[in-house]
Amino acid sequence: MTGSGLPTTDRPARLPIVVFCGKGGVGKTTLSLALGLGYARSGRSVVVVSSQPLPDLAMTVSLERIRAEDPAAAANLMVTYIDAREILAAMFERQFPSTYVARKVLTSSIYKSLIEIAPGLKEIAFLSRLRELADTRLQPAGGAIDALIWDAPATGHFLETLNVTRKFEMYLSGPFAQTGRELQQYFSERANLLLIPVTTLEEMAVEETVELWRTLEHGLRIHPAGIACNLVSPMLQASAEATLNADTLTGLPPREAADLAFVLDRHRIERDELDTLRSSLPGPFHLVRRVPQWSSDLELLSAVSAQLTIATATPG
Amino acid sequence: MQIQVFLGTGGVGKTSLASATALQAALRGERCLVLAIDPALRLRTALGMAPGVSQQKVDLTEYAASGELWAALMDVRASLDRAVRLYGKPAQAQRILDHPIYHTLIASLAGMQELMAIERLDQAINEGFGTIVIDTAPTRHALEFLDKPEYFVQLVSSPIVRLVGRAYRLWERTPLASLSRATLEVYARVEALLGTTLVRQILDFYSVFFTIAEGYAQRARRTAARLRDPRTTGFAIVTTPFKAVRDTAFFAHELEARKFPVRSVTVNRIWPAVEVELPPDAPPPIAETLRWYHDVSRAQRRAWEQLRADYAGRIPNVMQVPELPRDVDGVAALYQLAQHLEPR
Repeated sequence: MTGSGLPTTDRPARLPIVVFCGKGGVGKTTLSLALGLGYARSGRSVVVVSSQPLPDLAMTVSLERIRAEDPAAAANLMVTYIDAREILAAMFERQFPSTYVARKVLTSSIYKSLIEIAPGLKEIAFLSRLRELADTRLQPAGGAIDALIWDAPATGHFLETLNVTRKFEMYLSGPFAQTGRELQQYFSERANLLLIPVTTLEEMAVEETVELWRTLEHGLRIHPAGIACNLVSPMLQASAEATLNADTLTGLPPREAADLAFVLDRHRIERDELDTLRSSLPGPFHLVRRVPQWSSDLELLSAVSAQLTIATATPG
Repeated sequence: MQIQVFLGTGGVGKTSLASATALQAALRGERCLVLAIDPALRLRTALGMAPGVSQQKVDLTEYAASGELWAALMDVRASLDRAVRLYGKPAQAQRILDHPIYHTLIASLAGMQELMAIERLDQAINEGFGTIVIDTAPTRHALEFLDKPEYFVQLVSSPIVRLVGRAYRLWERTPLASLSRATLEVYARVEALLGTTLVRQILDFYSVFFTIAEGYAQRARRTAARLRDPRTTGFAIVTTPFKAVRDTAFFAHELEARKFPVRSVTVNRIWPAVEVELPPDAPPPIAETLRWYHDVSRAQRRAWEQLRADYAGRIPNVMQVPELPRDVDGVAALYQLAQHLEPR
């Protein structure tokens, strides 16, 4: 894991939050954990904010096993889930004169019904907490974190979350409108976010990625730092003279010719989709190869992590 | 009447398989609807729907189909408006439709989509389709479409929301009368926390909306019961090789916990074996690429074998579908895909 501007011994003034976003199933969680693991191995303390509650995440990745297999790295790597309900309760508790009154209000049915129904409250709470975590990186005290990675939810919910800060300001009043305004400003500040949309090189995913980029840039005034093209084949990274085409291998038996035709077809799809991305978006594009086989989650994450050369320098 | 609900995470080909299944039924002579409750509009390209149209008959003249295939995209706004008009008295309905928070709720209340899915399904049932195939949202949270109506029923039928609605009105009309001091105190605290305008708007809205919600809840309960009946409904899990074991475990568990009948699991997009004997002088990058395809494909097949072994006897149909050359688009491509589906 290399990259200019990575924190070494001295803490820089500001480190962006790294955000992996994009369509469902493109590998946001894998990239988040792989980058986190890479940082953790180099001795930084990392927090990965998962978009899934930890029991759900455990169905995809076994953090327990990673802890057992690489305790040194795991000691620096914390994976957490932000439960908006808890955050709201904590925010409110601080405002009460006594815990008795706090408990009475926060357990009241009126309160419980309202926070479920009120549009955007939970999103605001989530973003506030994320920002708070980001700020703890700046504290010199022990236990502060060096890197913060947000494994964002799939596109629709991700945009809804970012958008809610505005909506709040537009439609509603109260103490949250002010918070919404502040958050909106914080998350559109270039230096605060390193946003990396993740995509696979398939038609639907690429279309959604181009649209996501445009919505972020024009609708929300947030500028993505680059694109991660995940699960690509090694051919895409090979040099031009080794281009795979139909003349490459001739005189194959029919079964093998059919297999080759399949490979060529997949390869053409990848090429075309990468071209579409390149002609639509400024990049830079980071190619991350699909790991063909692995025997443990740690092995998979290590293999992905080794490929992540995503520059994590503070964007200019 | 038969209902099939397709579930799966993103990018597994759920819409394509749901559409191909519906096409198969139409070719058999049924009047069939494929209904997408996910806003990703994938169905529009898959079945060539005209822009702006939310329900359309698909042209099958080329295939000499004896049945009909219809495609529909759920329009949350239209379904909600319809529910309001259907379950409310005219004056009530108008008050709701004109309420400022009505629009905010639709735009930002996470779950409104899921809430209205049941309503939309109910509408489709009334339109007399023989088979209804539902394409759910591409996430693990797709099941919320099944949870939410019941959550809503509970919320709406709980005395609290009624109290909240009524409390607000009393608060407005006769301040401090007939409500206990403790209730008012708590209410005042909540208002201070969340903001007066927000709280009052929501309470005002709900005090009208809950009468409508009762009508909705009644029908939602009936529809949810239909979804639990294995004679009418089957749930189909769709996954891809590398997600197969985990996705299936997750969805099968969640469905069983809710007592919904799991009918099938399909592992979609399995690559061919790719066993190409290379000449010794083949350029190294090409050799490496073919080896990579071979390795990925072998790993996929292992995942499929494992899934089949794990679920034989537990889920009635455990099926595989190969990766087709291009992203399936248009009826012709769906027809091709349908040939790979096992006949029912």
